[in-house]
Amino acid sequence: MIEVIDISKEFRSGSVSVKVLSKISFKLGKGEILTVFGKSGSGKTTLLNCIGGLEIPDSGRINCFGTDINAVSGKKRSIFQRKNLGFIFQSGNLLSYLSVTENIVFPLILNGYGKKAREQRVAELLEILGLNLFAKAMPHELSGGQAQRVAFARAIAHSPRMLLADEPTASLDTQTGLNIIKLMWDIARENNSSVIVSTHDAGIINYSDKTIHLVDGEIRGGKE
Amino acid sequence: MNPVFWIKIALLFLLRSRRTTLALGVMISFAIAALVFISAIAVGINDCMILNSTGLYAGHITGSHIPATIVRETLLADGVSGVLQRFKVSGTIYQGVKSEVIALIAVDPDQELKNTYLWKKIVRGKYIEDNQSEILVSDVTAKLFDLDPGATIFFRTDSTVYPFIVSGIFKTGIDRFDNGLAFCPLSIISDRPGTWDCALFLKPGADMKQIIAAYSQKGLKIPNLKTWKELMPDLTQLIELNQISMGFVMFLVLGVVSFGTACAFAIVIISNIREYGIMKAMGVTSGEIVMLIFSEVILMNLIASFAGSLAGLLTVLISSRTGIDLSGFTSHNQYFVVSGIITPRLNSFSLFLPSFLSIALCLLSAIWPTMIVIRQRTSDILRIL
Repeated sequence: MIEVIDISKEFRSGSVSVKVLSKISFKLGKGEILTVFGKSGSGKTTLLNCIGGLEIPDSGRINCFGTDINAVSGKKRSIFQRKNLGFIFQSGNLLSYLSVTENIVFPLILNGYGKKAREQRVAELLEILGLNLFAKAMPHELSGGQAQRVAFARAIAHSPRMLLADEPTASLDTQTGLNIIKLMWDIARENNSSVIVSTHDAGIINYSDKTIHLVDGEIRGGKE
Repeated sequence: MNPVFWIKIALLFLLRSRRTTLALGVMISFAIAALVFISAIAVGINDCMILNSTGLYAGHITGSHIPATIVRETLLADGVSGVLQRFKVSGTIYQGVKSEVIALIAVDPDQELKNTYLWKKIVRGKYIEDNQSEILVSDVTAKLFDLDPGATIFFRTDSTVYPFIVSGIFKTGIDRFDNGLAFCPLSIISDRPGTWDCALFLKPGADMKQIIAAYSQKGLKIPNLKTWKELMPDLTQLIELNQISMGFVMFLVLGVVSFGTACAFAIVIISNIREYGIMKAMGVTSGEIVMLIFSEVILMNLIASFAGSLAGLLTVLISSRTGIDLSGFTSHNQYFVVSGIITPRLNSFSLFLPSFLSIALCLLSAIWPTMIVIRQRTSDILRIL
């Protein structure tokens, strides 16, 4: 269970302060998919960053699987992130000097998987995501869609309890984006991972269990 | 934390950032190769000064007033390559009405030729021969008496007059040799003094203090046995000064190179900073980031140091075959009186110090790019496209 309780966040630039999130609250169960949608600048990325522990909210609390993620700091938070979270960003997700396989293996090694388990898991993900032919390819040799599939494979490789995807289809054409999203969500459901995805692509909303519509940092509707 | 994993990632980073790694690696290698070579020259200059100062006449260890009861052979020991026996006979050299008080050194010409380089300083004529009534005089004495090789001159002690043929004339440029000294074969001096002086020449690497200690252990009571370091504190200081100067040069050159490396690393890291942000979002700890960046720096330095040391070593080997002739710069210097040819030589100081300093300074300079990554918030890094 992920519980977001009344979180608010302001950014200050000199004497100017901008309220990015205002008293956001919601709950998300195990294996559920939540889409946060809204226009650019509505606070989607900041919300995801707060949930993932990359940003600390000014007020409120985020409870991820029994851990108040903002109450832990430094090394403990990093260890929590590596075990429980998987991130996918809009673009530039991959480590440029590692091959496709090495990118996918990265979180498995961080989480202490043995060699055999790693090989098995990488083979499985490459097969499911149709990346077999690109196992040894370097990130610059991949198309945008292939790169996002590798990013997803890496994010899901260690079977995290929560997957955070920040506009994962923004750099793809509509059809490729939808195909990838369908594939990703199927795998996430099989994996029983909770998913929070931010987007301004209306097509993705149909594939979610819950939705939140953010406008200027406030929830202005959605589907429970 | 799995060090092997992070070292592997660092290695992949270096291998796949080919151009950057190559540019930085070549810069470090070049600096190390240059420093290995320069410090080998510094060692060579020190060697040359020692060789010149000891090889001309004095030897590595000098002893005076040794009782005649101690024979030359007694001083042959492990590490000693030659023992030169010299009797100092005081008297007056004269020809016609001209005379000069000198110290005539009676020597074994064969041993002297084998171990010393005074013969190289003969400006006219030749060195003295054993069993011949020959004398080697200085240029100052020759001018005073208007002597040429083949001329006859007399030497008078309290009890004997020796007629000599001038075999040669030497000029060292060093006052204590050029004024009031002459040499003749030991075999023709009948009234030898009761004590003699010695010059000991040692094999390379032999320890002077140990040899002196060995004589004491053998029960030999030799007064005034002194090493060249004790006899020539000015040369000892010059050598130490040379070493300290080399240390400064190494520190400065590698400091500049390390600063350049730090700047280049900072540029590489800033241009790839998003990837470090992604790693941090994946749960990579600050400690692991430190390990990764430091592994990159250490690995690159190790490889570059190895290549640089090897290049320096080869340059030293090639140049040491003929030596580097710096006679033009040393001709008026008493420490290069015999030869100005520098033979570069490597020792642990010249071979390992550049690499050690390079790694130490680069590690120090890696702190800056590491701090850039660690101190910046992950969310801020990820906003950079």
